Amino acid sequence: MSELAVRYRRKTPRHDVQVTAPKGAVTHVHLPDDDAKAHFVTALLKGRCEPGEELELFGQPAATAPTKKRDKMRSRVGAVSPIVGLMSNLNAWENISLPASYHGAPPLPEVAQLATDVLKSLGADPDYFFARLPEELGLLDRKIAAFVRLLVAAPELMVFDALEDGLSHGECRQAARFEAEYRARQPKGTVLYVDTREES
Amino acid sequence: MLQALREIEGGIQLSLNVAARLARLRRPPVLDSFFRQVYFTGVTAAGGVIPRACGLGVIIIAVMIDMLDADADLAVKILLLLVFREVGPLAAALVVILRTGTAVSAEVAMMRVTGQTRALRYLGIDLYDYIVLPRVTGCMLATLALTFYVQFIAVAGGLVLSPFIIEASFWELTNRLFDLFRPVDFFYSTIKALLFGYAIAACCCWHGLNPPDLTNNAVPKVVTKAVTQSMMLVLLINAIFAYVVFGILFFGLVKANV
Repeated sequence: MSELAVRYRRKTPRHDVQVTAPKGAVTHVHLPDDDAKAHFVTALLKGRCEPGEELELFGQPAATAPTKKRDKMRSRVGAVSPIVGLMSNLNAWENISLPASYHGAPPLPEVAQLATDVLKSLGADPDYFFARLPEELGLLDRKIAAFVRLLVAAPELMVFDALEDGLSHGECRQAARFEAEYRARQPKGTVLYVDTREES
Repeated sequence: MLQALREIEGGIQLSLNVAARLARLRRPPVLDSFFRQVYFTGVTAAGGVIPRACGLGVIIIAVMIDMLDADADLAVKILLLLVFREVGPLAAALVVILRTGTAVSAEVAMMRVTGQTRALRYLGIDLYDYIVLPRVTGCMLATLALTFYVQFIAVAGGLVLSPFIIEASFWELTNRLFDLFRPVDFFYSTIKALLFGYAIAACCCWHGLNPPDLTNNAVPKVVTKAVTQSMMLVLLINAIFAYVVFGILFFGLVKANV
């Protein structure tokens, strides 16, 4: 049996949500509703679960992990999600470089190079893009900025939370290239697409 | 009562966190945020609002001199005791509350309501480092600069205006002012201005980070509360500080040792 990047369970009176994602694989998860999705993504990002939830990240149970270990676990997870939005008073470049600039690594020229490469391959003009505030960018561009910001951190587990929500068909095709961009930089990384089940 | 205790505890915790994290000002995004705060509070306020505050100081001097039928000596004492020590820092604090206090509390509350603070946490960025520290330190420095600005213009304005009201030349008043001026006056207003800046920014950040709920309706409530409490804090600090340093609160102005 392959090693798991994520094992999650949440039991409520209405649903019994169970998610498993093998390491290095691409997994599509369809959760029953937005509440279940928010709980799942939040648990992954916090590396912590609420009562009624069970979470194992990279084979480690989150509930019993000491704070330091949990912080390390969290740093291995990234999500392009409405939960982790952009800072409204910073332009796209400042948003992309904020974590690297705060943590002191990787160096900013490296971040700029990576961001420029990814933006060009996704069809965006870096010079135009970098100077724009989030409110001046379209929804896809905001998702691209959030994605590039994550790529800088090189997470081992990349979560795409409702990636196609609000996008046109053409934009969805562009967003579909996120996975390839991530794969090119993290060949052994795990990708998790999270969405809610479509209404029948 | 419980809410008040919670606010006091929160304020103390916030103060300790800011003090413990001063070294993190060197981090580039924190330093950027600090400079932005200094620019917004100290530089942009200087253009329009401060001259008006100074005009107010000058009017106070004119009215006091006229009302008290002051001679040169009393006019200079009014300039020093009232304008330099009290009106200068208070006018600057008022400007900072009205401009920066409202902006900071609304901005931070908006960040909280729209989930930007949560996003920062998920990115491993400490809220105290990125939001509170630069705003508090920037606001302290800018309030100090504004205070010096107000003091200088208001006192200079008073010296220029007084000869038209009393029988004393500008140079007589200036010489008398330098005779009476002691370094303690400078340190007194400096420390007070720093405390005012600190209290305003800390209070506004705390309320911004702790809105009553996470809806847009919470933002105006936060701003109202932050501004009211900042004003109260400034007045409280002013009264306590004046009493501690000069003992004029209970013994009256005439007892002040100048």
